[in-house]
Amino acid sequence: MVATEYYVALSAVLFGLGAVGFITRRSAILMFLSVELMLNAANLAMIAYARQWTTAGGSQALQGQGAVFIILAVAAAEVAVGLGILVAIFRNRASTDVDLLSEVRA
Amino acid sequence: MLTFLILAAVMVAGAIGVITLRQPIHAALALVGTLLTLAVTYITLEAHFLAAIQVIVYAGAIMVLFLFVIMLLNVERQRPTPRWTWFKPTATAIGLLGAVAIAFVLFTDRQPLPGADTISGVLQGGNAEQIGTVLFSDYLLAFHLVGVLLLTGIIGAVSLVQRATPADPARGAVTARHGGTQHDGDGQPEIVEREKVSA
Repeated sequence: MVATEYYVALSAVLFGLGAVGFITRRSAILMFLSVELMLNAANLAMIAYARQWTTAGGSQALQGQGAVFIILAVAAAEVAVGLGILVAIFRNRASTDVDLLSEVRA
Repeated sequence: MLTFLILAAVMVAGAIGVITLRQPIHAALALVGTLLTLAVTYITLEAHFLAAIQVIVYAGAIMVLFLFVIMLLNVERQRPTPRWTWFKPTATAIGLLGAVAIAFVLFTDRQPLPGADTISGVLQGGNAEQIGTVLFSDYLLAFHLVGVLLLTGIIGAVSLVQRATPADPARGAVTARHGGTQHDGDGQPEIVEREKVSA
């Protein structure tokens, strides 16, 4: 059995890569992909901790996995609305480059 | 440990692909690879139900949505792909090789299916049941909120993407005359107004 620390370290690496992608990418679609990566990194950490807690004999062993289920649903809703916004922006601007959208600011 | 290392290598390679590849389609496909290896990792972490959900919801639904939108939006930016003369024969050879390998294993190394008792014994008190118990006890409020959130997401996505068709001038005229408040749902009047302005 691989120790939980390795899974958490892998999750941290994935989260870091997602954060770097979110900062460096210009296209809103690719920023979205990076956000998905970060969400999945969090899920991995949560499932790893759930297994750790189960093997340690915790009383509420699978709460981490339940949280992952809810995060999945939130990610699905976020993607549906986000991509809808992207399509609406693209219709008006013919571009998804976030640097060109600065006048969205209030 | 070896399994973990291989999975981690593929996963990190996919993640690097997501943040470096130029074509959005390639980045999305790299993310699909990362998500599938994540599903395998969930199996090694004894989260079988979530592994299945990961494949069905993430790789199946969310990424397909991403790919649809990328293909919808990036039509004009698509450069012509280079003609790979070796590509077609190689793909054919790999496909044939895979089919032959599967058939070979199938016919030389037959494994009997476990009996129904064994299968139901494994499924008894399985992972999905425990997660369901957690969801409907500890996470009851969050579960309900997720239902509301998904409904909101559906309505938001539909109202964002919907637009008045230019081939339907009667509806546009009616909404313009009445200020667009009575006949259509929320979000519709603004879209109609904006369409008229841009036209």
